Amino acid sequence: MLSAQRLDENPCRPRHFRPPPPCAPVVADERQAEVIETCRARMVLAAALFAVVFLVVALRLADVVLLPGVNAESHAGRIAPVAAPSPVRADIVDRTGKLLATTLDSASLYADARKILDAGEAARALVTVLPQLDPAAVHAKLISGKSFVWLKRRLTPRQQYEVNRLGIPGLQFQHEERRVYPYGDLASHVVGFCGIDNNGLAGIERSLDRTVKSQTGPIQLSLDARVQFILHQELAKVISDFSAKGGAGIVMDVRTGEIIAMVSLPDFDPNHPGRADPNLPPAEAKERTFNKVTLGAYEMGSAFKIFNTAMTLDAGTATMTKSYDAIHPIRIGRFTITDYHGKHRMLSVPEVFMYSSNVASARMALEAGAERQRAFLSRLGLLTPVSVEFDEVSTPHFPARWREVNVITIAYGHGIAVSPLHVATGVSAIVNGGILRSPTLLKVAPGDARSGERVISPKTSDQMRKLMRLVVEHGTAKLGAAPGYVVGGKTGTAEKNQGGRYQAKKLMSDFVAVFPMQDPRYLVLTLVDEPHGTKASHGYATAGWTVVPATSRIIQRIAPILGVPPVDEGSPEIKRALAVESLQGRKIETY
Amino acid sequence: MTRLGIVFWLVLVAVAGFTTFKVKYAVQDIEDQLNRVRKQTIADQQEIRVLTAEWTYLNQPERLAEMNRRFLALVPITPKQLQLRIADLPFRAPAVAPDVMLAAAPDPAARQIPLDPLPVLDPVPINENSASPAALAMASTAPDRPWADGARTEPASLPERPEDAAPVQLAKTAPVQLAKTAPVQLANAGPVGKPNSLDALIAQIADAR
Repeated sequence: MLSAQRLDENPCRPRHFRPPPPCAPVVADERQAEVIETCRARMVLAAALFAVVFLVVALRLADVVLLPGVNAESHAGRIAPVAAPSPVRADIVDRTGKLLATTLDSASLYADARKILDAGEAARALVTVLPQLDPAAVHAKLISGKSFVWLKRRLTPRQQYEVNRLGIPGLQFQHEERRVYPYGDLASHVVGFCGIDNNGLAGIERSLDRTVKSQTGPIQLSLDARVQFILHQELAKVISDFSAKGGAGIVMDVRTGEIIAMVSLPDFDPNHPGRADPNLPPAEAKERTFNKVTLGAYEMGSAFKIFNTAMTLDAGTATMTKSYDAIHPIRIGRFTITDYHGKHRMLSVPEVFMYSSNVASARMALEAGAERQRAFLSRLGLLTPVSVEFDEVSTPHFPARWREVNVITIAYGHGIAVSPLHVATGVSAIVNGGILRSPTLLKVAPGDARSGERVISPKTSDQMRKLMRLVVEHGTAKLGAAPGYVVGGKTGTAEKNQGGRYQAKKLMSDFVAVFPMQDPRYLVLTLVDEPHGTKASHGYATAGWTVVPATSRIIQRIAPILGVPPVDEGSPEIKRALAVESLQGRKIETY
Repeated sequence: MTRLGIVFWLVLVAVAGFTTFKVKYAVQDIEDQLNRVRKQTIADQQEIRVLTAEWTYLNQPERLAEMNRRFLALVPITPKQLQLRIADLPFRAPAVAPDVMLAAAPDPAARQIPLDPLPVLDPVPINENSASPAALAMASTAPDRPWADGARTEPASLPERPEDAAPVQLAKTAPVQLAKTAPVQLANAGPVGKPNSLDALIAQIADAR
């Protein structure tokens, strides 16, 4: 009312202007009044809502600006942690976390030939800082007119700096990632190597290429670099001492199937796989990248008697007390089977194994039969490629038709060729209580029991341990003893088969050792290709003089690293655990 | 009233605007800082990768073995050294108080034997004088961090260990020092026997036990 009156009293009011009705129209109609009342209520409601929202905004503003508010730390948690962009290939580390392969940034030099002003001058200048480049080739590239030509891949930071300092327009760097193997040739066959475009071409790099490319954290192998080094060093020593062609070795955890070390010699530097040694002919360079442990297939000789004896004992056709004829050689077709170290008498099973009698072993195998032999070897996985995280695995060679002559020769490890990894896996199963686990190159978390398949009874396994111990105590592997570590094993010396004929002068000597025999933990297999006798070995190149002493040294050096406590080998408990009843009280002829 | 209200709101708007921009710039600063830290972190991480590779390279077992051969000559542990476990060690024999020993030894002449020779060994001029020249000889011939220069020195190019230096030094100095000092010490030492050489002293201690 008041405002209307005031409006009315306004002296400046135009004449025609009628003051509006005071605030609310006078409504006569009751129904209309009701509608207006509803409208008003709604407006109040809307205004209240807006007021609340603005209040919230104001409060929040005051909170952010005026009050000390939340601390930075609580915010920090919400921000994603920074990480360098993960490299194209993950690191590969050994079981103790030592770096076996890593990826580093490096610069590669390329030229935009269209921008080069003086190609001759540029080429000359470039060669002064990169002497390994050929000036003529560089010049040809620089005058090619192409917008992109590689000049030199993977410069060192120093070279990059030098090139930059030349200040030649048209030269550019491209950042590339480069695979580096800090341990060089130490685990070259296991880790493998990459091509220039960071694709795995061999070893783990190749077989786990996808994992290596997708995983952000490092890939942990079962390998132990220290054990690998010792195996590498001792094998290299055997090879040079006996002027052999090459060698191979494995250390395996018999309980889990983890490969602790794997060496194949000669080897190469994975940092420069292509040119291991520029003086070498390409065939030999290829030979160096050949992994004898998984890709080789060899007749392992007498070491196969482990499988033969286990097979006959497990089948029950032979017992520890049964004796076999080692007097008469076996004649079959044009072959005559004789013993290398003939005893020419009846031999009990422990003696057959200890003295490594081919004749008696063949008789044991014949007694069990071809079907059993084949089934047993197949169950141990010796007739199929070994299953491991590796592409480079060999297919065993064995006779398609399993005839009697094959049964005889396979009994002592001829006429069947398998990879050393096959043998290591099979022997692990035989000594660990009878469970076959496929070998693995990836670390098994402690306490993580890998499932396996039972291949022989625990009793047979126990008997085999005793027999293998006997070989080191009295048999062909006496030089393999490592005092305190209760080594057991079996030697094998096979003549190499070339063009269908066995070469008496070309041997393959191998030794499968397991320690400690009363409770086997680790297996060491060593193999040397074409060793030649020396004065120190009295002209012998058999396993007993070549790889066996080396294995003794290896075990003495690796056992403390692997945490195997030494025991007193003469203590009654050890003696009792490994005593062969049938030989008790008898004087054992030494081999 | 209305004017006051308008002023109030204007001031409020100004303050709000000012603080908003202030906060915005502060945040921008912090974000710049964060980005710098992030970049630095990434650079550091890359650097760590390179250094780890370098460290691993320098720790090649072959190189370590060679360095051990030249500078330390450690040998692998033999089973004999590992034969005993902690549990196998006997407990220390209960300490015997001197009175008890005195009481146990009725003869006053005899009781001097276990007590007296021990303090003789206490002053050790032998070690101080004889050991240090040898150590100095080692230190002077072995250069400081020989692998540090020429970044990637192969083990083969490491300087030869002064193999003959140490034994020679020891041989020259140790006996002389012994001859000079030891008898003097021994001569002053108590009533027992008066041994005139180290060997005699050791023999005497052995007898006393």
